[in-house]
Amino acid sequence: MSLLQVRDLRVRVDDQPILNGVDLTVEAGEVHAVMGPNGSGKSTLANVLAGRPGYEITAGEITLDEADLTQALPEERAHRGLFLAFQYPIEIPGVSNMEFLKAAADAHAKHAGRTEPSAMAFIKQARGCAERLHLSADFLKRGVNEGFSGGEKKRNEILQMLLLEPRLAVLDETDSGLDIDALQVVAEGINAFRSPANAVVLVTHYQRLLNHVVPDHVHVLIDGRIVRSGDHTLALTLEDEGYGWLDG
Amino acid sequence: MAGSTAEPAVRDVPSALARRLMALGPNTYASWLDREACESVVANGLPDARAEPWKYTNVNRWYDVVPGEGATGPLAINAPPGVHAFDFDDDRARQLGQAHRGKAFELAEQPLAAVNGLLLGAGAVIVAPQGRAVAAPVRVKDAGPAYQHVLLVIEAGASITLIEEPADFVHRIVEVIVEPGGRLRHLRRQRSADRRECSLVAVHLADEASYVLAQSSRGAELRRNDVVVTLAGGGAQATINGVWQLVGREHLDNQIVVRHLAPHGTSRQTYRGVGADRSRAVLNGRIHIASGAKAADATLDNKNLLATDRAEVYAKPELTIYESDVRCSHGATVGTLDEDAVFFLRCRGLRDDDARALLVRGFLREAVADEEGAAGLGLAT
Repeated sequence: MSLLQVRDLRVRVDDQPILNGVDLTVEAGEVHAVMGPNGSGKSTLANVLAGRPGYEITAGEITLDEADLTQALPEERAHRGLFLAFQYPIEIPGVSNMEFLKAAADAHAKHAGRTEPSAMAFIKQARGCAERLHLSADFLKRGVNEGFSGGEKKRNEILQMLLLEPRLAVLDETDSGLDIDALQVVAEGINAFRSPANAVVLVTHYQRLLNHVVPDHVHVLIDGRIVRSGDHTLALTLEDEGYGWLDG
Repeated sequence: MAGSTAEPAVRDVPSALARRLMALGPNTYASWLDREACESVVANGLPDARAEPWKYTNVNRWYDVVPGEGATGPLAINAPPGVHAFDFDDDRARQLGQAHRGKAFELAEQPLAAVNGLLLGAGAVIVAPQGRAVAAPVRVKDAGPAYQHVLLVIEAGASITLIEEPADFVHRIVEVIVEPGGRLRHLRRQRSADRRECSLVAVHLADEASYVLAQSSRGAELRRNDVVVTLAGGGAQATINGVWQLVGREHLDNQIVVRHLAPHGTSRQTYRGVGADRSRAVLNGRIHIASGAKAADATLDNKNLLATDRAEVYAKPELTIYESDVRCSHGATVGTLDEDAVFFLRCRGLRDDDARALLVRGFLREAVADEEGAAGLGLAT
């Protein structure tokens, strides 16, 4: 069985069709890259997978481990193991990163019927993950994304992914706004996360992240449809030739 | 109260209350307050619902609960060793009360304080002796008659904490005199209540004196908090933090005045409020900088969240500045929860209501300065 199956997904926003029949199958252990020009529907796809309100699904379905999530609430998707790393991570003043991370971990534990992690054990785990992402311990005490640099915000998304250990991580333009050092750190985090038990969908505009995280499959989304799929060399071709040759 | 002296006020006083005050006369407790209170009512009358400061709180509804007779009884005050407390019927209390009269507030400007004076049921003077720093707090507990008055005198260099626990009263005055270099930390906790109450906190700060107020409030059927802080001495400092969270049809009206009268005073005001359902909150914060209060540094920051379409908040910062050499800023905002933030938290597994509660906690926390009090009231910590 496939980990993720998206079948003929059609989505409108304010009566405007954005996705026009997307099909995507992701198996456990795979990394897929979804590329495409601006306005092709990449972020819509990422957001619809996570259940963001404001999108009208007019046809198609999304299943994760064979459970139909097409109409599921965002938290239900999270509990089933779907994780969206945000293109523009949200600032939450007054809530420390640690408090937020613990609340998220507790929510997952509660849903799975597990005991919530002890504060001590969780702090230790969070510090370990922060260290791997070259983030200081102080980072966990600060307000969620408050005053963080662009790179810190993206690394914080990866930190959440490492802690919550999802089945499927959908990373929406996680490479945007990163300098080369931060890009490498983020890529190391994604590679550390990769395992035969999970899968990653990288939504990206540029090929450069794919130098560091080599995908098994690359898909090109144009006008709300996947018009071409291939292996990682497709990303290199796109880097050289752009998207124009795929139009129509 | 003699009928002849009260006569002129009747025109201005809502008739039901006027009749009651006339019939009653002042009670005999702490009668040294009566004459001035009578004169104030006669000279100034009492506000009615049309008065501007009562625009958002119908004062007639408070007059409705002014009881038929002013019961007396002791105030429940826990004063730790090293702090002195006297009842208002003690001569020392009268002397101190009279010595400090008019410093922290003027009866003419606080007409309900005159009603308090006439009907007073319990009063206490608390003295923090010169140079003493007392760590254990003074607690004003939930017991006592409808009309209460606490006078704190923080002598030069002394330092104490006052905790006002959630309490039922009709009117309470907390009058504070902080002498040079003294410090008071004042934690004020107000629970949800199906009652109508008004209160006055009035503070007079001498040179280099410091006052910190941390107010954690739920709403009530009618709750009105008047706070007047006067930085009368050079280098005085005032910090006011207020948080509130209202539900149902609760009401909370905060009327705050900070007056800078001397040079180099600093005041910081931070308020965060959340209103749900059909609640109504008011924050009217006025900063007054008098001529001569050079290098005054004053800020007021008020942010509000409305959780429903029918909740109301009236946020009005005001500045009156009569001195050029000052730093002064104020701001007030009203908004709703950021739905992108709600979605973000739900994507991390939090249920919708838990996500909203966490965001509200974070929002309020920016102004929480009394964690224990806020937690006790189910507010942010």
